[in-house]
Amino acid sequence: MAMVRQPLLFARVPPVGRRLLFGLALSVICFLFAFPVLWLILTSLRPESGVYYVHRGTDFTLASFAEVLHEERLVQAFVNSALISTLATVFSLLVTVSSGYMLSRFQGPASRTWFGTIYVFRCVPYISWVLPLYFVAQSWGIYDTYIGLLLPHIAVHICFFSWLMKGFFDGIDPSMEHAALIDGCTRWGAFIRVALPSAIPAIAALAVLCWLFTWNEFLFALILTGNKVPMITVVMAQFVTEMGLRWNLMAATAVMALVPAFLLALFGQKYVIRGLRL
Amino acid sequence: MAVARRPMFGEQQRFMLFLIAPAALLLLLFQVLPIAIGANASFRDWALYNPKKVWVGLAHYEAVITDPAFLEVVLPNTFLFMVISVLGALVVGLGLALLLNRPFRGQKIVQTVLMVPLMVAPVIAAIMMRWMFNDQFGIVNAVLEGLGMEGQPWLVQRWTAFGVILLTDIWLWTPWFTLLLLAGLQSLPREPFEAAEIDGTSTWRVFSHLTLPMLQPVIVVCVVIRAIDAFRTFDIVWTLTGGGPGRSTELFSLYAYVLAFLNLDLGRGSAAAIVGGLIILVVGIVMYRLVDRVTKS
Repeated sequence: MAMVRQPLLFARVPPVGRRLLFGLALSVICFLFAFPVLWLILTSLRPESGVYYVHRGTDFTLASFAEVLHEERLVQAFVNSALISTLATVFSLLVTVSSGYMLSRFQGPASRTWFGTIYVFRCVPYISWVLPLYFVAQSWGIYDTYIGLLLPHIAVHICFFSWLMKGFFDGIDPSMEHAALIDGCTRWGAFIRVALPSAIPAIAALAVLCWLFTWNEFLFALILTGNKVPMITVVMAQFVTEMGLRWNLMAATAVMALVPAFLLALFGQKYVIRGLRL
Repeated sequence: MAVARRPMFGEQQRFMLFLIAPAALLLLLFQVLPIAIGANASFRDWALYNPKKVWVGLAHYEAVITDPAFLEVVLPNTFLFMVISVLGALVVGLGLALLLNRPFRGQKIVQTVLMVPLMVAPVIAAIMMRWMFNDQFGIVNAVLEGLGMEGQPWLVQRWTAFGVILLTDIWLWTPWFTLLLLAGLQSLPREPFEAAEIDGTSTWRVFSHLTLPMLQPVIVVCVVIRAIDAFRTFDIVWTLTGGGPGRSTELFSLYAYVLAFLNLDLGRGSAAAIVGGLIILVVGIVMYRLVDRVTKS
C-alpha cells in the first residue's frame, strides 16, 4: 500500500512551471471576474470632471457619495429595500420551512399534488402573474404600498424554497422525530423542537439567499410600485435614463447598493456553501 | 413514523394541512388568482386608459402569434438567449469548479472573488456593462483603440448589443454553476479517480469518462433550473438596451411588459404573458421528464 501511495503523493506536487501557469491563469480569471465591480468603484471615486476618462488622471473624491446621500428619494429607497428584504426573508422562511417539512416527511397524494403544484408554478414566468397582479393590487388598494410589495415577494419564494427545504429535510434522519413522537411529543413539538434545530444551517443559507434575491429584485418593484414606495433597483434604473450623463453619481449609487449585499454574502458565504452541500 | 401513524389519522391530515396552508394561501392569492384574472383579461378589450372589458375571444392571441415582431424577433431571441447563456455559464462554471476542486494556497480568496457576481443585482450588473461598453467613454472601446482596433457602438447594433446582454448574463450566473458543480464534485466518490491515476489515464479521459458522467445528474438539474429562469429574463435587457435598438433585442418578458405598460393594452399584454407561460410550461414538463430519467438511471 505504502509503496503505491508514495510516488502518487509525490506526483501530486506539480513542477514549478505548471504551478506558475496555474497561478497566472487564476489571477487573470479573478481579475476578469472582479473587473466590472472594480471599474464601478473606480468610477464612483472620480470627480465629475474626470469621469469620462476614468483610466486617465489621478484625482479621487468622495463627493459623489455625499451628493447621492442628499437625494431624499434615494435614501428612502435604501430604507425601503432593506425593510422589504428583511421582512420578506422572515416571512418567506416561516412559510416555506413548514411547507418543505411537509413535502419531506409525508408521502402520498396530498404531498405529491403539492409538489406538482409548486413545480408548475416555479416554471411560470414572473411577468405572467406580476402583470395581472398590477390590477389585482389596484383593485385591493394595495398598489404602491409596503404590503402590496411584501406579499408578492413572499409568494415568489414559496416554490423554489419549499423545494430546497424538502431537500434539506430529506438529508436529516427522521428517527429522532419518531422517538420524540413515541415519547409523547406532539407532531408540532417534534417539528419545532426536534427537526427545526437540525435544519438551522439550511435555514441560514436560505435566509442569505432570500435577502439577496429581494434586495436585487427589479420587475416586481417596477410594476407594483409607483412614487410612494421607491425601491433601490427601480430608482437606479430610472437614473440611467434621467442622469445618463452623470456616471459618477450613478456609480456611487450602485456601489452603495452593493455594500449591504457584499457584507451579507461575505458573512453568509460559509452558511450558503455548507447549506447547499447538504 | 409507521408506529405513530395509525392512531392519529385525522390529526395527521390536519397537521399536513396546517404545514402547507400559509404557503398555499399566498400562492393562491398572489399567483393563481392573478393568472386567472390575467387569463380573463386576455379575452377582453382591456386598454389601460379605457377598459371597456368587452369580450373579444381569441383576437389578442391571434394578434400575438401572428405578430412578426413576436415570431421573427422575440421568440428566436428568447430561445437563442436561453441556449447560449445557459451553455456559456455551464461551460465556464464547470471549468472554474474543476479548477477550484483541488487544494492550493489562496483558495478561499479565489473562491470569494469568483462568487462576487452572485451578490450583484442584475440591474447593477447591467449598469456596469452599459458604462463599460459606452461607445464614447467606455473602457472597452478605450482599450480596443489603444490596441489599434476600431471601437464599436456596442449597444446600438443588434448583434453586438445581444452579445453584451449575453456576456452580462453569463457573468452573473457562472458563479451559481460553479458553486453547485463544486459541491457536486466534492461529493463524488474518490476510488474511481484514484484507480484512474494508478492506471495513468490522461486528464481528458478522466474528465470525459469519469467526471462528466458522474456529475451528469447535478449538471442536468442546474441546467433545467437556469434555463427556466433564463426564459423570463427581464431586468438586464431592460436596463442595458430597453429592447433596442428598435425592438431587436426584446425577449419575451419585455415584449409582454411593453404591450401592457407602454402600449397600455393590458388585454394583449396578458395574452402575450400567457402564450409565453404556456411555452415555458411545455419546455418545463419536457425537462422534468429528462431530469426524472437521468436521476433514475
